[in-house]
Formats: sequence, C-alpha cells, structure tokens
Amino acid sequence: MAKVRCRFMQRLGYFLDRDRGGHRLLSLVFFSGALLLFLSLNGELWGADTPYLEELLRQAGERRLHQERYWQIILHYKPTLAGSKSRIDDPHFFLAPNGRTDPQAELGATLRAFFQEAADQDNHPICRFPARFAWLKEELQIDGTRLPQVECREFQEALGTIKPKAAVLIFPSAHLNGPASMFGHTLLRIDGARNSKLVSQAVNYSAFVDSNNGLTYAFKGIFGLYPGYFTILPYYEKVSQYNDLERRDIWEYPLNLDEAELERMIQHIWELKDIASSYYFFDENCSYRLLYLLEAARPALHLTDQFFYWVIPLDTVRVVQESGLTTATVYRPSQASKISHLAAQLDGDLQQLALHIANQEIAPAAVTEQAAPPEQKSIALDLAAEYLQYLLVKKELGPEQYKERFWAVLSERSKQGPAATEQERIPEPTKPEDGHRSNRLTLGGGVKNHAGFQEIGYRPAYHSLLDPDEGYIEGAQLEFGSLLLRYYDPSHRLQLAKLDIINIVSLAPRDLFYQPVSWKVVTGLNQQTFGDGRDHLIYRLNPGGGFSCRLGRLGLSYALVESDFNLADQFRDKYAIGLGGSLGLLSKPLPFWKTSLYARKLYYPLGDDHQTLEVGLTQAFQLNRNNSVTVEIARTKTFGINYSEAKLNWNLFW
Amino acid sequence: MKKVALVTIVSLLLTGVAFAKGAAAPATGLAEQNVGCGWGTLMWKNNADNSALSQSTQASTNGILGNQTFGITSGTAGCKRPAKFAASDSLVRFAYNNLDSLAKDIAMGKGESLDTLAELMLVPAANRPAFASTLQSNFTNIFPTGKEDYAEVLDNIYVITVKNG
Repeated sequence: MAKVRCRFMQRLGYFLDRDRGGHRLLSLVFFSGALLLFLSLNGELWGADTPYLEELLRQAGERRLHQERYWQIILHYKPTLAGSKSRIDDPHFFLAPNGRTDPQAELGATLRAFFQEAADQDNHPICRFPARFAWLKEELQIDGTRLPQVECREFQEALGTIKPKAAVLIFPSAHLNGPASMFGHTLLRIDGARNSKLVSQAVNYSAFVDSNNGLTYAFKGIFGLYPGYFTILPYYEKVSQYNDLERRDIWEYPLNLDEAELERMIQHIWELKDIASSYYFFDENCSYRLLYLLEAARPALHLTDQFFYWVIPLDTVRVVQESGLTTATVYRPSQASKISHLAAQLDGDLQQLALHIANQEIAPAAVTEQAAPPEQKSIALDLAAEYLQYLLVKKELGPEQYKERFWAVLSERSKQGPAATEQERIPEPTKPEDGHRSNRLTLGGGVKNHAGFQEIGYRPAYHSLLDPDEGYIEGAQLEFGSLLLRYYDPSHRLQLAKLDIINIVSLAPRDLFYQPVSWKVVTGLNQQTFGDGRDHLIYRLNPGGGFSCRLGRLGLSYALVESDFNLADQFRDKYAIGLGGSLGLLSKPLPFWKTSLYARKLYYPLGDDHQTLEVGLTQAFQLNRNNSVTVEIARTKTFGINYSEAKLNWNLFW
Repeated sequence: MKKVALVTIVSLLLTGVAFAKGAAAPATGLAEQNVGCGWGTLMWKNNADNSALSQSTQASTNGILGNQTFGITSGTAGCKRPAKFAASDSLVRFAYNNLDSLAKDIAMGKGESLDTLAELMLVPAANRPAFASTLQSNFTNIFPTGKEDYAEVLDNIYVITVKNG
C-alpha cells in the first residue's frame, strides 16, 4: 500500500520552514492551537472530502445504522431506562464525547474520524477500530480511495503472527482446594496454522491488580475497583498457570466459526486493546466480556442478554453450547490429575519409592533394582518428576534443590525408554457442563419439636457437599446467597430460616503426596434457639480449619477446629464468641445416594456464655442430573434446651 | 476464663491468618523480572501463593500484576539466543517459557512440549518419532548438568539432531 503523506503535517512543515527566523513562533502556536480547536470542535478535518462525509452521514442517519445489532454489539450497548449505555467505561473507546450513551452520535463521530488526517497511522480510527471500519465500509459501500490512506502496520503484524484459523473456548475447572475457584474462568484461544496448540494465542479478560493481599483482592474484585483489560498471550502461559500452578483441569470447546466470523472477532478484539472497563467479580467479569467477542463474530446470537445479575463462567459455557457454537470437548488434565493417575497405577511400595526418590532419600537408579515390570519403573520415575514440580510450585523446594533432583530423576528416566500409550491416557471425568445447574430451588417440609413446617429455599450459586457430584469436585462446597424461608403450621408464622451470604467448605483429603489443609468459612443469618425456647435470627461468622482423609470405601472423613462469632439482640451483651470443632463423614454408598454424618460442639465463653452440641445425618438421593431429594435428621442442644428436627426436601437445579 | 478468651482470640487470629497468609504475586508472568534462564526459574517465580483464600480469589479474579496487554511478540527477559543456529522467535520464546516441560518430555520420550519443539524446529512429521527417541537417548548430552539455560539446550538439541542426520 502506497503511503500518502499527511497533508496536515506537510502544511505544518512548510510553515516551520518559513519560520526559521523564529519571529513567527507566536503565530505558529496560535495557528496550530486554532487548528486543533477547529478540529476538535467540528470533528471535520482540514483537507477531508467533506461532501462525501456529509453524504455518508446522511445515509447512515436515514438507515438508522446506529440501531443495527452489530453496532450495538461492538460498542457493548445495553438498553437502559433512558435509552442505552455502553458497558465499557473507558473514554478512549468512544469517539463522540457522549458516545457511551448515544449510539447515533458515536456512529457519526466514528464516520467523521475516519476522515481524519493520518498523523499516527496505527492510532488512526481506521486502524484502531477495525471492526467498526469494516462494518461501516460494507454497509455504506464506502469508497476507500476517498478516505485518508492509512497503513495499519501493528494490526497487520499481529494478524501475521497469530494467523487465525480457528477459535476455542477455554474453561479451567475448579482448583482442588479452592472452592471459590469453582466460580471459574473462561478465555478464548486463537489457533493459527500450527498443530501445536501450546503456541496458539490466548485471549483473556482479567483484572489488573495492585495488591497481593488476598482480602484486598477479594474486596476490590467484588466491587469493581480493579480495571479489567483484554490480554493476549501464548496459550502455554495459561496452561502452565492453570494446569501446573493452580492444579486445575482445563476443558476446551472448539468453536465452529467460519473465516468471516473469525475475522470479525479478531477485529473486535483489537478494538478492545488497552481499553479499561471495571472488573466485577460477579457480573461484568471475564466470561461476560468474552461473550461480546462471540457476538461480534456471529451477531445473530444473543449471548450477553441471557445474564442479568451474575454471570457464572460455567453457565456461559452452557449458553455457548446451546447457541450451537460448539459441539466437541477436549480435556486437558492438570498436573494434579496426572500425579493421581500415575500413582493409581502403582502399588504402595512403588508409590513410596517414587516419594523417596523425589525427597532424595533414595537414588533414582534404585528403580532398576525393583522386581517390577519396566513400565512400572518408568511410571515411578514419571511420578517422582511430576511430584518434584509440584513441590517447587508449592515452594516446598527451592530452585537449586529442584534442579538437582529433577535432573537426577529425568536422567534415569531417559534410560527407560518411552512409556506405553494406554498408561498415559488419563480417564476423562464428567464434563463440568454436564453437572447439575447452578440455580437451586428447594421445596419441602418437616417437623421441629412437634411443630410442623413447610419451607422454600433458593440458592443462586453454586454447589453444596450433598448436591450431585458429577462435574464438580468431591468435598468442595461454594454457596452464595442461599436463602431459606420457613412457615410453621401451628403458629402460622413465616420466618427467615437462613440466609448464607457465603458458605464455603473445602474438604481436601490428605494422602501420600498431598497434605492440604481443609477449611471452611460460613457467614450469614440463621435462626438460633435461645434459653427462652424461642428462635431468634442471629448473624454468624464461622470459620474453621483442619484435616480430611479418605477412609477407603467408607468415604471422606474430616475434623475441623472452628470458631464462631454471633451477633443478636437476644444475646446478653448482644454477642457470643465460641470455639470448638466438628467431625464428619461423607459417604457415597451407591452412585445416586450420598450421606453426611456429623457432630459439632462449640463452647461460647465470651459474650453470652453457653454451649451448643449438634448431631445429624443428612441423606441425598439423586433422581437425575437436576433433581434430588434430601432427608435430614438432627438433634441439637443449646442453652440447655434439646430439640430435634426432621425434614424432607426436593431440590430442583436449573 | 481469661485463658479461654485468649485461646479463642489466638485461634480466631490464626484462622484469619491462615486465609490471608502468604502474598506471592499472582500467577501470571512478568517477563521483565529477570530470574535466570534455566529450568525451575519460571515455575518458581510464577507460583501461586499457598493461602487458600488468596488462591481462590486469584483463581476467580484472574488478576494480573503488570501492564502488558497484548504480549504477542514480547521477548525472553534479556536471555541470550542460541549461538549455533538461527532459531525463530517463537522457538526461542517457547523454549524459554517451557524448559521444564521440555526436559520432562525429552526424558520420557514423548509429550506435547516435545511435539511443539519438533514443529517449531520444522522437523518433518515423518521424522518426529526418530527425533523424540534421539533426544531421549541423548538426554544427558542435552542437559549435561541440569543447570543449562534454554539457549544452550537449544544449541545442544540442534547439534545432536544435525549429527544424527
């Protein structure tokens, strides 16, 4: 493409040439200032083909192009009471001063901007907003020769590097000991001509953070105090982050986009380069923003409209599947899954040997002395190598020790020859999107101390210990905003039985290779029986920590030390602080039947002095993927008063 | 009573600390920090912190520290390039960022990183099984001590594969 010299710069240069004496400096400043003012006020550019621009503006207005679906998508407009407003708040994204709330003004300003002289070609609106340009050019049949000639070198270079051929939706599933990661994340992968997907590019929307502190992080993430940006980086960096560092399995969903759709998507991604928008953990998050890219690719799809108050990444995967954008799934196991899989193929002695080798207690060459088949020896060394990486990531091993041990193990491993293929294939777990849905409605009834009640509950997200496990991690619970209302028949009294703001439990079993800490945090409102024998609503913050281990076929057992802060007017001094613990056993006697047996004892020496003991058994029967029935019986003693409760509930997930 | 109160307060504090403890950087690469060019360095540097809450929130907000957005052609932290052949930028970047997986795959004789290496080194598909087994049997020539940086590793691989035709 021939570069046409910028007429504005030419004029300026001419002016400067004549101004060698310097006495006209003042008039130069005045001239350029006036010119800039003129440009910014009018948006019409000196030397531009004004009649042609006017013609295009007229056509765009007549056809009401600003109301077209595609314009609404690529500007991220959403209807509001007053009209519409873009979900992007960065002023750099708009060319009209009121562009965020006025699609028509923005479209006009965009057309005008295309006629700007091309001083900085890569930042010329034609290069900066390639999706807008391509669409308007086609809609209005814009004659490119009547526009300033610009060369979008950066964009072309990026296209040259990526060479887009296909796009894939990526979903990293939950972290083993981080139930909050169940909320998940999604990103896109753009595949080029290469077979190796590791060197594809990952397109990712994420918060840019200023703090390493977990609590600050959570707070700012929830309240939109971090700016979010789209980033592009090699896919291997994301694989390493999720598979190796965070121990999360990755699920990949190839999208059936054609060439034109893919091109539109890439153009729109480029428009979002360096554009900030507030990152909200619950709604305007990674997965929500990603949906715009898919809509830009295939404007007939309405993906973002299907979410209102919160956007759960896995639900966006389901919406994308239902839209027909994807039919296949690829599983990419995490390093933790690899370690478990390798260990499962070895007997106890060889597992111990691998552990000793990783801990440098036995030389790697010792495997050759084992009476095991050669594949087993290879697997033991593979296991030691993977485990060493895990120790490094957990910082239980420094880089120098790691290098030495990793090298020793791999040197020995290289002498063993390749492993048999079938041993490397890691069985694919249930796909996360095949698990139960995120919303849960509960209906049921029961008896508390001879008083019958009916109850109704709603939980917007996400999974509890007794919900069907398929597609989720066993022993992990994450609930937001779980609400339960109860109506007592004898007294005709409706009460708020429970409102869990957050309820997280992570029971991560310890074994030979992993020694995680199990933990819980529950906070919210619930009914508590007081010394007067009546129920009152209290606020509770109940954290705890401890251990879990698998007891063979019996299930998952746990022991937690817990503390509990309670607030209510009915407490003496209005509060109670307690310390105690809980023991429990989660079992799955049959694939559709789960049980939870537990005992919990807490002493509250501070505030209102009292004790609580609670023993219970909950059983859940899975009817199908999105229906289950739970039967609960519990006996509680608190403030010296004993009471029992039994109830039967039906749960519908949708 | 005082003792119980003390125990309670300490345990509450401990619980809080357990959730908030640890403050390593979130797990996304800042290629600017030069922490060496051999294996182990990137994984060590990038590791997630151990606190359960930090891990969870990091995993959920996907935070990134730093300001690079479109790192399509970003570099290799000032590490040197292979000396013995003209390696492409993608190869150099890949080797720099994946040295640990490469070492593991070479030792095991197969794997995705090894396949990627073969493709980036333009090894014809038909020759890849031979490429993999040559590298496996030459592991200690490629990694004589395990302290080699990625440029030396690439040079060693180049010399071995050329020598073996």
